[in-house]
Amino acid sequence: MAQTVFEPWNDPDQEPLIQFRNVTKRFGDFTAIDNLSLDIFEREFFALLGPSGCGKTTMMRMLAGFEGVSEGAIYLSGKDIAPVPPNKRAVNMMFQSYALFPHLSVWDNIAFGLKRDRLPKKAIGDRVSEMLQLTRLEKFAHRKPHQISGGQRQRVALARSLAKAPKLLLLDEPLGALDKKLRQDTQFELMDIQEKTGTTFVIVTHDQEEAMTVASRVAVMDEGRLIQVDTPAQIYESPNSLYVADFIGDVNIIEGHAKKSGDGYDITFAEGQPVLHAKTSRDLGSAGKCYLAIRPEKVTVSAEKPEGRTNLVKGTILDIAYLGNLSTYHVKLASGQIIKAQTANTRRIARRDLTWEDEVWLSWTETAAVVLEV
Amino acid sequence: MRRLVLIAVPYLWLLTLFLIPFLIVLKISLSDTALSIPPYTPTLDLGAGWTGVKEFFAGLDFENFWFLTTDELYWKAYLSSLQIAFLSTIMTLIVGYPIAYGMAQAPDEWRPTLMLLVILPFWTSFLIRVYAWMGILSREGLLNQFLLWTGVIDAPVKILNTDTAVYIGIVYTYLPFMVLPIYATLEKLDESLLEAAEDLGCSRASAFWLVTVPLSKSGIIAGCFLVFIPALGEFVIPSLLGGSQTLMIGKVLWEEFFNNRDWPIASAVAVVLLLILIVPIILFQRNEQKQREAEG
Amino acid sequence: MRNHLLTAAASLALFAGMATAEEVRVYNWSDYIDEDLLDKFEEETGIDLVYDVFDSNEVLETKMLAGGSGYDVVVPSGTFLQRQITAGAFQKLDKSKLPNIENMWDVVEKRTEQYDPDNAYSINYMWGTTGLGVNVGKVREVLGDDAPINSLALVFDPANMEKLADCGVHFLDAPAEMIPAALKYIGEDPNSHDPDVIAKAEGVFEPVRPYIQKFHSSEYINALANGDICVAVGWSGDILQARDRADEAGNDVEIVYNAPVEGAQMWFDQMAIPVDAPNPDGAHKFLNFIMDAENMAAASNYVYYANGNKASQEYLLEDVIGDPSIYPDEATLENLFTTTPYDARVQRVVTRLWTKIKSGT
Repeated sequence: MAQTVFEPWNDPDQEPLIQFRNVTKRFGDFTAIDNLSLDIFEREFFALLGPSGCGKTTMMRMLAGFEGVSEGAIYLSGKDIAPVPPNKRAVNMMFQSYALFPHLSVWDNIAFGLKRDRLPKKAIGDRVSEMLQLTRLEKFAHRKPHQISGGQRQRVALARSLAKAPKLLLLDEPLGALDKKLRQDTQFELMDIQEKTGTTFVIVTHDQEEAMTVASRVAVMDEGRLIQVDTPAQIYESPNSLYVADFIGDVNIIEGHAKKSGDGYDITFAEGQPVLHAKTSRDLGSAGKCYLAIRPEKVTVSAEKPEGRTNLVKGTILDIAYLGNLSTYHVKLASGQIIKAQTANTRRIARRDLTWEDEVWLSWTETAAVVLEV
Repeated sequence: MRRLVLIAVPYLWLLTLFLIPFLIVLKISLSDTALSIPPYTPTLDLGAGWTGVKEFFAGLDFENFWFLTTDELYWKAYLSSLQIAFLSTIMTLIVGYPIAYGMAQAPDEWRPTLMLLVILPFWTSFLIRVYAWMGILSREGLLNQFLLWTGVIDAPVKILNTDTAVYIGIVYTYLPFMVLPIYATLEKLDESLLEAAEDLGCSRASAFWLVTVPLSKSGIIAGCFLVFIPALGEFVIPSLLGGSQTLMIGKVLWEEFFNNRDWPIASAVAVVLLLILIVPIILFQRNEQKQREAEG
Repeated sequence: MRNHLLTAAASLALFAGMATAEEVRVYNWSDYIDEDLLDKFEEETGIDLVYDVFDSNEVLETKMLAGGSGYDVVVPSGTFLQRQITAGAFQKLDKSKLPNIENMWDVVEKRTEQYDPDNAYSINYMWGTTGLGVNVGKVREVLGDDAPINSLALVFDPANMEKLADCGVHFLDAPAEMIPAALKYIGEDPNSHDPDVIAKAEGVFEPVRPYIQKFHSSEYINALANGDICVAVGWSGDILQARDRADEAGNDVEIVYNAPVEGAQMWFDQMAIPVDAPNPDGAHKFLNFIMDAENMAAASNYVYYANGNKASQEYLLEDVIGDPSIYPDEATLENLFTTTPYDARVQRVVTRLWTKIKSGT
């Protein structure tokens, strides 16, 4: 394991590899990127996450050089990259469609960028072999792209974009075309390769699970803005907004009124329901409407009333979703809210005692829920 | 059974529209000319039974093909036709590729219109269009007037009735056959391939040569064959636009058939022309096949 | 004779159709009849007339030799007619069905007999000569007032041709017309079938070849009329048409036709009935109709060609019967020559020679 934690973004002495400074990008009337600033550091595996149309692909294309900026500037290693055409940037991109050259063999695809640099034959051969080995494609070197599988194609695309040892590798939905099982395997492979090569990766994805798995930091985007930029754990555990909380993973959202109380807030959310309490360092300012976000796996479901829990509500089971490793209970409170609670199925036949229409107690700790501004 | 029928359809097509006419022409090419109806001998007399068939085959020989070797006119005409067809194919490619490329780059909503514009000339009779070119290329024609007006030339130049006019006519007439297949491949071309090439260090120009051109290869090949094959046997364009010194096998064929009334020699000329064409046609087929495999 | 080439290629789609009403299918040269006559025929006989046109003897002959053309009346020129008769393409006329045959002119019949002995298979429709169409103004400008506009020297003497090259000279693309003319020019027998004699024609064409703008058998009509060219070797009626078009256009282009003083080729377009004509009876009715003196005169008045119908002459317009380039005087008539068809071997020599003359190969 690494001796020191990799957190260059917390080190004020670190010079960022990429800096977006008040970047705005407009297409006609449409603003794709709205006055956005962002630092990405060397060796980071940085994920741009958001729904389609949020501007994440535009950011990537601006880095690659396929789009210019309307306002602001982007710096790569401290230099403004605006005047540098795509073919002169030390940035390579792995395309969503892979964009493999169908008329060239795997070997030639990988060698394509090296040949453009007019490297000696020997150097090209060595580098291609290295890349083939890295991506375990040695056996397919002389096949054409249409003669190999989707997963292999994905690896060719990766090898090709890494071959020139770019300072920065851009990955546009790199796993989107793979089936789920392959995607999960490949995620780890990507991380592995990123670690081995030490290249800075910027990945664009709409798949939050993928972003969480691979990235050192995730930027959640919406409508051309960065909503939250943080480590996956922080994004998941302390979303800074309802949007992020809702976008990342499954979450119960309870709307209510917050009142400052001790180290957190008391939240009243419905007539006849107990007051909930959440610890937070966040200051909501004057008390008022708020949202409470609770991850389902942090909600405990029990038939008996548990003792000594601060947040405790009662409801009936509406639905049970059995997912194999997990079960999700949809519990309806008397006030009408539906709260999801998730339990790991650690025993083979789990919780036979809970079934539809059962009355159950839901509880969670003071730190489990996050209070969010409206 | 149904499969068998389906397979039979293209073969039947080939048989009736190619093989049978070819065999008829081949048979005539082995006959001798005669002043009769039809103007060659022997003709198959089935009424005479087996002896008739035997006599018929006894009357056939390769004399006419031998004759083609005795006069330099024929091989010169074949060579000259090959040259004209080859050069005009190259020129059509040079003119047609940018058109196809422009069409493929045009916004989606423009493409049907552009496509229509390419096909539009086909709505007018081919003959009328060639006649229109006579008006354009003649000494007092639009082209000369335009060149005089721009000051490029100060006396009208002779274009009509020269090989230049033949090239212009062939390029014009067959241009759509070049543009459409190239357009079809360019239209399918994934824009991201060009971005990938640029990303990997290509300039725009080298991305065009390294990616766009190789990927439109099948369209280029198809277009070239679609131009080359009919241009080789072209008769109307050299007759109308060419000068009397324009030597093409189509004209020789016409003269054998109509002026000399020598159907057997004319047929022999046609059979040899076909044999010359078979090579490119087979190459063309193989290209198509490879293309299908690549796409499959 | 006349217009060579091509539209043929487009018009090859004709075949015999079985119709219920009686019909006669006529296949004639393009622009070769007064179309009012066609309506008149239908009115008089009640027979539907299907009238198609061609513009080269070669195309017609190919159809005749292929057989099954579906036509009832066709109009080959003399030499072609003779060959097609030998091939068995035509049926003998039933003269009992042709009472108007007595209108025919013996002067012409005597000459057509060399193609069709006893005129057994055909009647003469039109006849004419092959000669020189000259844009008088332009030629005099180039060659002076004593330009030999009525002599073959105009087009076969390199000294003249060199000067004329710039204003344009067209030759017929018809070896059967041009080679006899060349032979006549050097004093050989224009009707020679001897390959060695025929070969001498090459020596006539070779020195003038660079000055010939085009070999074509119909374009010269427009080219002359527009003033694009100043000399054409062509058929009499065509050149007279060019003359009239120039008059109508009022473009100061004056065209004259001259049969060369050395002697001009005389040709005959003959109407005949194919051996496999679907309606030979109707065909005879059509021939008889055409031989009517007034009808024949109407046709000649329209196309400016002389016909072989003596009786029609009283109905001819003065500018037809009185024009010596259409109806030559006795002396000129004596000076005209005719040719007979080449056999296949000689035909090949002629065609090959012609290709060589035109293309240098």
